[in-house]
Amino acid sequence: MKETIETRELVVLERPDGIIRGTYHKACDEISVAHESSIDRDRVGLLFLTGLSATRAANGDSAVYWADAFAERGYPSIRLDLPGFGDSDGDPPTESLEFINAGRYASIVSVAIDELVARFNLSGIVIVGHCTGTVSAIYAAADSKECRGLILMDPLFYLPATKLSKFRRQLHTWVLRCHLDGLLTPIYDRSKELCLSIRGNRPPANANFPLLRCWKKLASIGLPILILKASGRKRAGTRSRIGEFDYIQHVVELAGRKGQVSVQVADGAHHSFANRPGRAAVRQHTEEWLSATFPLTGRKDSDADALHQDPVVVTK
Amino acid sequence: MQTQCPSKHGLPERARYFAVPGAHVYTVLHPVTDPVARVLLVGALASERHFSYHSWVRWARYLAAGRIEVLRFDYRGTGESTGIFEEMSFEDWSQDVHLLAEWILGRSPRLPLLLHGLELGAILAGKCFQEGMGDALLLWSPPVNANQVLRSTLLRWSGLEQLYESPENRKSVSAYIRELEQGSSIEVQGYRWSGRLWRDSFHFDLPADMADGSLAGEAYKKPVKCVRFGKDAVCLTMPYLRYGEVKDLSSLYSDTFNWVAGTFALPIERAP
Repeated sequence: MKETIETRELVVLERPDGIIRGTYHKACDEISVAHESSIDRDRVGLLFLTGLSATRAANGDSAVYWADAFAERGYPSIRLDLPGFGDSDGDPPTESLEFINAGRYASIVSVAIDELVARFNLSGIVIVGHCTGTVSAIYAAADSKECRGLILMDPLFYLPATKLSKFRRQLHTWVLRCHLDGLLTPIYDRSKELCLSIRGNRPPANANFPLLRCWKKLASIGLPILILKASGRKRAGTRSRIGEFDYIQHVVELAGRKGQVSVQVADGAHHSFANRPGRAAVRQHTEEWLSATFPLTGRKDSDADALHQDPVVVTK
Repeated sequence: MQTQCPSKHGLPERARYFAVPGAHVYTVLHPVTDPVARVLLVGALASERHFSYHSWVRWARYLAAGRIEVLRFDYRGTGESTGIFEEMSFEDWSQDVHLLAEWILGRSPRLPLLLHGLELGAILAGKCFQEGMGDALLLWSPPVNANQVLRSTLLRWSGLEQLYESPENRKSVSAYIRELEQGSSIEVQGYRWSGRLWRDSFHFDLPADMADGSLAGEAYKKPVKCVRFGKDAVCLTMPYLRYGEVKDLSSLYSDTFNWVAGTFALPIERAP
């Protein structure tokens, strides 16, 4: 039984109220270089925060796939189970969504980042969040001196309704089961579009305004940020569904002139990004963005480019 | 930083990699001071692992709090273990269980060992038990064969796909099955199922005499218990029914713990 294997190392972060478990994926030069002194220390690591209730492996073990890929590319990657989830201590907060949306994991993640940077001699951390993990990522980035960038997969800038009425749930299911969505959805969308227009295209009442303020603070000072958007199953491109407030456009505007926000979309990716097109798109966009934003010294890009040739459709 | 330290309840958990042919299996040992028995938890596979993980970890902690040492793990090619899922077979996963059962049996002092399987893990635990390993067997939601697990996962998943996919991309479950039967791979919840896995699943059965706990107990001269969760019962593997919510499984845990304690005549007065 071993704590470390050729490509990975198991980590434990101790906290006063329990422990956080995670997995460190060694960068390629940590595996191939015999002497620790010759390992490139001037590089960022990636820290993965998965969505609600997922373990650190994420849906379909997709986070393991990405962490392996980015480590192979030269960026050490760490996946953590936040307190209450996966193998970490504690129980999930009673109202998990409210807890996350209020940024309550920020200080925990920020402290974890400090420890990881010191332990693995990193120049900083890029936080990779998915779904609700993006909320914790944004708040943690604001709280941490070691955060160098953000990668946000289908970020959540609004407060989802946690308790839909029974009638509404049943109606929704009935419409889908009867395949009436093709008929009713356009009518519903147009009525929402009218409401949005009347409202003056401002964020709706359920927008997470504290999070948007936190975003503005970070993005407007030029923190490099990559937003990855799943194209969804019923529409393509960056545009939101008709009648929906376009949060992506809004946050890009909030970033202002100094903002370094890149938005990428992958065709065929589901919200979890765990399907093959989703995985490939995240890998390709992230690798390109990392190479441009945090280039590694002493590594030829052509070496890394040869690693994979996954076909994805990209729009910006 | 270290990989073993006490949790807030003072119970240590030790995560380690265990070498198996061609891969490393991720394991978590819940060691206890002065243990009275040991349990090897043989969990659900792939996407069902994800949905049952929370309850499975808490069951391990519950047992450890009752002085029962527990080892849980991820099959090779899934979760934290290394290996590529689509290259794995039921024989590989059976070997994982066998090797870990041998490892835990080698721990000192010698104590009664319970093999506890969930869903596909019930077949794997059952086969290991059939080979003579373990002093008792506990099966939660045991299927008749592995195909029953794959089929029910596929039905649930394709049902959701039907609801959320655009009309032109909707595919029926029979269309997916046809692809598998033709030897093609399909992707279910982010895992690529090969035609070979599907074909093999028909012949990877729960040992026939284990479908009924009391009959199996007589056949093997060792305690065997089967628990089948009804549709309305609180279940570890009801993944798509608001799985983000925390389920209260305290009565399932305490009832099962009391069965284990009674089966092994453990010197424990009551469930933790």
